[in-house]
Amino acid sequence: MSTPVDTAASTPPETAAPSAGGMTSGAPPWWERWGDRLNPLVVKEVRQGLRTRIFWVCFGLMLLACVVLSLIAYVNTREAQYTRSGRYYFFAFFVCLGLVHFFVIPYNAYRSLAREREDETWVLLVLTGLGPRRILLGKVASYLVQAALYASAVGPFLLFSYFLNGIALPTILAVLSLGAAWLVFCTVVGVCAATLAGGRLTRGFVHFLLLGTLGAAVVYGLVAAFAMVEAGDRLLGDDDFLYAVGVGLALMLTDGWLLFETAASRLALPTEDYTRGPRRALLTQVLLAALGGVAVWWAEGKDHTVAEVFGIMGALHLIAVVLFVATDVDGLARPMRASTRPWSLLRPGAVRGFRLGVLLLAAWAALWVGLEFMSPRVPDRGMAMRMVTVAIPTYGIFYISVAVLLGRMPRSDRLSSPGALRLLVMAVVGLASSLPPLVAVLVGLDADDGLFNLLNPIMGAANFGTYEYSSAGSKMSWELLAFVVGVTVLAAFAADRVLVEREKRVHAS
Amino acid sequence: MSLLQVKGLRRDFGSLRAVDDVSFTLEAGSILGFIGPNGAGKSTTLRILATLDVPTTGEVLLDGHSLVDAPDKARPLIGYMPDRYGTYDDVTVFEFLDFFARAYGLKGTQRRERVESVMEFTGLTPLAQKLTTALSKGMRQRVALGRTLLHDPRLLLLDEPADGLDPRARIELRELLRALADQGKAVIISSHILTELAEICDTCAIIEQGRLLATGKVEDILQQGGGSAVAPELTVRLAAGAEGDAVWARAERLLLEQPRVVHVAREGEALRVRLELEPGTGPAQVDAAAAVLLTALVSAGLPVCSFSARERNLEDAFMTVTKGRVA
Repeated sequence: MSTPVDTAASTPPETAAPSAGGMTSGAPPWWERWGDRLNPLVVKEVRQGLRTRIFWVCFGLMLLACVVLSLIAYVNTREAQYTRSGRYYFFAFFVCLGLVHFFVIPYNAYRSLAREREDETWVLLVLTGLGPRRILLGKVASYLVQAALYASAVGPFLLFSYFLNGIALPTILAVLSLGAAWLVFCTVVGVCAATLAGGRLTRGFVHFLLLGTLGAAVVYGLVAAFAMVEAGDRLLGDDDFLYAVGVGLALMLTDGWLLFETAASRLALPTEDYTRGPRRALLTQVLLAALGGVAVWWAEGKDHTVAEVFGIMGALHLIAVVLFVATDVDGLARPMRASTRPWSLLRPGAVRGFRLGVLLLAAWAALWVGLEFMSPRVPDRGMAMRMVTVAIPTYGIFYISVAVLLGRMPRSDRLSSPGALRLLVMAVVGLASSLPPLVAVLVGLDADDGLFNLLNPIMGAANFGTYEYSSAGSKMSWELLAFVVGVTVLAAFAADRVLVEREKRVHAS
Repeated sequence: MSLLQVKGLRRDFGSLRAVDDVSFTLEAGSILGFIGPNGAGKSTTLRILATLDVPTTGEVLLDGHSLVDAPDKARPLIGYMPDRYGTYDDVTVFEFLDFFARAYGLKGTQRRERVESVMEFTGLTPLAQKLTTALSKGMRQRVALGRTLLHDPRLLLLDEPADGLDPRARIELRELLRALADQGKAVIISSHILTELAEICDTCAIIEQGRLLATGKVEDILQQGGGSAVAPELTVRLAAGAEGDAVWARAERLLLEQPRVVHVAREGEALRVRLELEPGTGPAQVDAAAAVLLTALVSAGLPVCSFSARERNLEDAFMTVTKGRVA
């Protein structure tokens, strides 16, 4: 019996099998050498995808719809000297492509990775040394290749619509470019959603959630495309539109990257530095957002409102992300322990995730409140907005700290898992938001009483941001805010100590 | 130095201790059967050995590389086959192996030769262009084994490899594994089907409730366990002829009167006799007890045409050392 041992580096055994798949000996052709450089998953997934029924059914139906639409366009326009119906036909062709690009492709990408997880073949992939990032990249890329195949079929029809008049080439290019960005983002979301599914119940939930999300993505993509087609060139010359497109693309890019890295970390082995990718993506996102925000603030004449909007919206976004970063598992794998320093905040472990989250939220608040102070024209509500810019990140840190204390301080591990801790944060925030107004009403005070709701994350933030025109001043004072900040510092310190102790315990065991 | 050294392996999942102080070594070219009931900790141990999980404490050295501290160095030396086949739909056998060869970083001619070589070894060459979904279980198992061999690992970890295979496929798998061991690969097979392991493995490790109860050759394990929990069995066949039942009844009565006989039952055309022996009883004492019985039967004029003692096997060893508990 011939064996595979040592044949990798030497000649095949004498009894080697006849060539499989039309293989030839000698130097491989250029396309094969080029193919060797491709991500193996792209080769496999495209081969696999082109054999599936769903690909050919969608491809056939899309092509048929486009042909029918073209015939209708031909019949409607052959009599007329000049029509401006091109834009409607373009949109109709785009609908055919959009349904596939914004729904079928992301959903298939999701299913593909979900099946790897269900069948545990992803374990085999990880063991090959491909690494989770290359696995995910391969999945996304292979579905984008399939999307390109669909697009190549619809491409001539889209171009045909240009010759029907009524739509300019820049508009066509803009719609297609934004559509491509939306496709990439939706595909990344689909692939990332597949890494969420653990148990059967979660899988079912994620599945239906994704179906709903992709349905909404189709509607959003098509409505946006229709608006652009309708407005035509006017929109492309509008600064506000370009500004909105820039923000949208930046969000898609940075959030897409963050989601991608988070998904890769979920597929990583416990011995790997699984948090480096997502935490680096988060840091980059925060830095880019800060730089972009400062640039806009500067360009708009150091407008106080710009600092307010960036400060508040950014803090809310950051709290949502920090919720995941700060609730990592305790400790880190043995190979990494020796080289991990107190400032190695990108390394795995709840204590480093928590510290990174607290630092980011504090820095974010400091940056924007600083810019608000530096703004030359301060509106009447300026002081209140400065307080709320500080209050929102402070509440975020406070409630994450409280949940960490509740979940991880007891020696029992019942509530200490990352998932349980996130639920605990939500539960604590829910209670803290709903109970104080109720109690305030019961004791005969206003539901939004400032003192009663001092630690209420929603009502409290609203109170800090309230400017009372009657008294021409802020509803809350800096002293009260300082109290909330003080309590938060104590809670964060206590949570940090708890996490440090737990890490020591984990490493000692 | 042993190829694989496992020292004091422990794995906790919360308050559950799935693997508890497991230590053993494995030489190159040997096959170790990792035996235990469901939930005993076999798969967890294999996952740790495959670098898919990290132990809470303990150390694993593969060819001198620590699986805990330097998993990246050890991983290329490991071929892991999980209990599920792990094949893809809509992919041919060649494409499947080619994909994994690419994933292992093999390029161009080297990759093609490697895939051809593995297909040849596993007998998959005639099926190269068949979709994996069209294959029988046995063939899919070969595809999975082929995938495991692509990067020429030194340690093979096979989790329940013969589960669900028909007898022919099992025998073929056994031959493949023996051939791999002859090439110097160390193989660990986890299973709870003892008969399949008994014929493949050089040594066994029996695990229950996460603890390694015994390791070594089957005979050694029986010795470790004291050898008394499973009574040796004898099979007696009589040429009863026309008198039939009367002869069988006489023989049964006579056997029951003998010392150490605790149970006699007629099974078809044979009597199954079970003896109870003291702890630590060796083969010589069993033979002596059997001789006493045979002499008694022949002296009583019973027409004995066959008299044999069943050799103790892996099942006996397993029953000797385990208590049927689950972690």
